[in-house]
Amino acid sequence: MRRLAPAAASFAVLIAAIAGGGCDARRLRPTPLLGFSAPFVFGRFEVPADNPLTEESVELGRRLFYDRRLSGNDTVSCSTCHLQRLAFTDGRRTGIGVSGKPLAFNSMSLANLMWGAPHFFWNGRAATLEAQALVPIQHPDEMAEDLQRLVAELSADNSYRALFETAYGEISAAAISRALASFERTLISSNSRYDQFLRGEITLEAQEEWGRKLFMAHPDVKVSLRGGNCIDCHSQFLTSGFSTRLDGFSNNGLDDEEHLQPGLQSVTGDPAHRGRFKVPTLRNIALTAPYMHDGRFATLEEVLHHYNGGIRKSSTLSPLIAEADNRGPDSQQGTSLHLTELEKGAIIAFLHTLTDNDFVTEERFSDPFVRKRK
Amino acid sequence: MNRTTLAAAVLAAAAVAYAAARFLHDAAQPVQLTLQFHPFVGAEPLVPNQMRYANPGGGGSFEVRDFQFFLSNIRLAGDTSAYAEPDSYHLVRFDGAQATYVVTLHSVPRGDYNRIEFAIGVDPAANRSTESRGDLDPNGRMAWTWDVGYKFVLLEGAFVRDGVRKPLVYHVGFDENYKRISTEFAAKLLGARDANLKFRVDLLKMFTGYTSVDMAALSNVKFDRNDAALLARNYAEMISPM
Repeated sequence: MRRLAPAAASFAVLIAAIAGGGCDARRLRPTPLLGFSAPFVFGRFEVPADNPLTEESVELGRRLFYDRRLSGNDTVSCSTCHLQRLAFTDGRRTGIGVSGKPLAFNSMSLANLMWGAPHFFWNGRAATLEAQALVPIQHPDEMAEDLQRLVAELSADNSYRALFETAYGEISAAAISRALASFERTLISSNSRYDQFLRGEITLEAQEEWGRKLFMAHPDVKVSLRGGNCIDCHSQFLTSGFSTRLDGFSNNGLDDEEHLQPGLQSVTGDPAHRGRFKVPTLRNIALTAPYMHDGRFATLEEVLHHYNGGIRKSSTLSPLIAEADNRGPDSQQGTSLHLTELEKGAIIAFLHTLTDNDFVTEERFSDPFVRKRK
Repeated sequence: MNRTTLAAAVLAAAAVAYAAARFLHDAAQPVQLTLQFHPFVGAEPLVPNQMRYANPGGGGSFEVRDFQFFLSNIRLAGDTSAYAEPDSYHLVRFDGAQATYVVTLHSVPRGDYNRIEFAIGVDPAANRSTESRGDLDPNGRMAWTWDVGYKFVLLEGAFVRDGVRKPLVYHVGFDENYKRISTEFAAKLLGARDANLKFRVDLLKMFTGYTSVDMAALSNVKFDRNDAALLARNYAEMISPM
């Protein structure tokens, strides 16, 4: 009999486990998002174990993204500064929220957010998409909402209650941030002409192909290689910054030593990080003007002009920018790429191949509160 | 024999059997081997962003902003044992919270290893692939473009002489610059427990290892194959046991 006791005990535990499971099953379970994939050349991606992609979390995040109730006076949603037709930017130098005061930074495009520097905002101050999502909601100039008030407001809405219940089992600030992050993770842009080229479906026009080669090359006069130097910061397939440590932050010569803004230094405290900002993805770059962290350049031509003659020197300027010169290191004309007008035009032509019309019209990414007009 | 003696004998036999079984069990368990890489500039430890190191090939001084390289295909060998780490591509760098870079081989079968081999660079097959294996990342900072493959060693910084500051950019890649390094040890690498090997990485050797390089004359190396081969022959000597 004594030998049977442990077996009986295990049996009881097993029954309890099954019963517990049964209890759990009575609560609605979220449906895993099936068929979610990304191009091979984007490389590995990671969805946090505590926030798996589910149909419900993504749908909930989409609603929240477009819901003006997320702001204190119910006038501003995430989509106010992140418009789908502009690849989730707003066309302004810097965003404008509930206070009407121009914000400190240009609104960043939201595409392929699971790749590139795993730090969000231009100065990298949020470590996860979840942490990022709650910052603008509470910022007095952006959405000026109190999280407790928001939870109460959403709890009064039956459809939200049901969605939150299924997706996260509760309405809370954490659940709001997770849902927004889930929706944002699905914002994948992967059907531009460049993607079609990478898949071998099309060939690029001669000018675009020339631009691609210039984009991908650091100039080296010694071997007669001309280059636009873009790949030194923008990775070849993603066109985003690098994901390793802080390699996705760069000082690209916008300001001289005296006017250098803190950038990444405001997060790390390291003087070597002064003036370094997040290298953004160039996906849909033709749609996301104006450019740079403060929106100082209105056009791609102005951007190319900057790299081709407007570089300001400072102690933290990227050595790769300081050194890159298509006329050779002995050229005495200051830091410049010295590209020709035709070469600049070719790079801009290549940048236009990064526009993904499917991305900016995709129904799943659009405002769910707008009835389909068909 | 009384009952007490019998019980004691049985217990003793059981204890011996248990110890023997445990010994056999332990001997079959894999162990962990850590490789620690300590960065130096000659005799001095490497401190990034400090204009304090002398140009080994001429006047002036230099600072290092970034120094990274691929260490790949780690293998252990002995008279009767051999082990190769799978997906063995490590991006070694020294700019984190700790000044050393540690590679951990988590599960090495026991063996009579007395030699460790690894390479600086990426082997030709992986260098032509866009597959992410280990630390290889075709969208990473070490990717040089789809057509050319990876940078094997990256050293970026600045050089000052007579008050004039110049950027230093050394990007060395190309299949021919994949350098295998083999180190033999007098003693066995693995005993009964987890083990630890320490290596010195002397980046100055890139400029002194075989051919002396004056940074003023050669402040950047990228796609010129002769320059790249010259630095590669030098960096083949930059890792040694400490």
